[in-house]
Amino acid sequence: MSGDTSDSNRSKRPCFTANGVWRGSVEIAPIAAFVIPFGIAFGVAASAKGVPAEISLFMSIAIYAGASQFAALDLWHAPLPLATLALTVLAVNARHILLGAVLAPWLLQVPIMRRLAALLLLSDANYAQAMSARDRGEMDAGILFGSGLTMWITWIIGTAIGVLAGSLLGDLSRFGFDAVMVAFFAAVVVGQWKGSSDLFPWIAATAVALIGAHLLPTGWHIIAGALTGGIIGAWRHGR
Amino acid sequence: MVDEIAAIGAVLLLMLVTIATRVGGVWIMSYVKITPRIEAFLKYMATSVLISIVVPTTLAASPRIWIAVGAAAVAMIATGSALTAMLIGTALAAFARGFGL
Repeated sequence: MSGDTSDSNRSKRPCFTANGVWRGSVEIAPIAAFVIPFGIAFGVAASAKGVPAEISLFMSIAIYAGASQFAALDLWHAPLPLATLALTVLAVNARHILLGAVLAPWLLQVPIMRRLAALLLLSDANYAQAMSARDRGEMDAGILFGSGLTMWITWIIGTAIGVLAGSLLGDLSRFGFDAVMVAFFAAVVVGQWKGSSDLFPWIAATAVALIGAHLLPTGWHIIAGALTGGIIGAWRHGR
Repeated sequence: MVDEIAAIGAVLLLMLVTIATRVGGVWIMSYVKITPRIEAFLKYMATSVLISIVVPTTLAASPRIWIAVGAAAVAMIATGSALTAMLIGTALAAFARGFGL
């Protein structure tokens, strides 16, 4: 990296630089490495469903949203139920709308093409990474695109391994890989704790998410819990 | 057997749906004035999304995932690094597997 961009992360204004893209892509690497086993799991599950290798790979390239791709596999039979597929994927991925809204005050200040680039590769993991980076004063939205790029590539590589050689690898959960994302998200949540004023909104979000997980169709409990936490927080702390 | 052309069409449809969710939040917020109240809403929603993913997933999973999440939370308090916390949680989950948890 050239010297004049080295201070870009220190600037006070939101920006989107090549330096940020580079840092984002590198910083997420330890998490992205664990995306490969998930990609393999998807590739294996798709093959088991009789989905051709090139279609499985195309899903991971084009959709790039693990949970919704697994949900789509459950509905993958001829004739394809397009409306049900679209609604299911919408439900599982609707939380992206909330992630985008959270990032909006930041992203709306960068040029539109760069904003779209960062959003196209948005996932829970690089959102969580960006949240904890922003707590450290990060203003460069390029990190979001960089981390998204790394996650996208590892998801595709994992899927490719899964469809080609997955059956030889067996059950990867024996390595504890299935704990990666929940452990990471739990750590980011704990890092967001600012004091006892957070307690009530957090408890409300937890309660609604738990109840919703039993009562609502797949995916909607996340929306319900997130909105509850946001509304309670705004009610108690907004002016 | 699902027809190849139909499959490609379906994947493209699902891609468009997913892109709509990815850009939708920022698009909506471009019409909303960011007042302090909206800012507080977004700030609490930021964490609540992750809470709503983690808690139900963890409780529905096996005890080694409980160990992983608990260890990651403690490690985060101790180290302040989400990455370190994730690695410790994952390592303990793998270790717990050895005890049949």
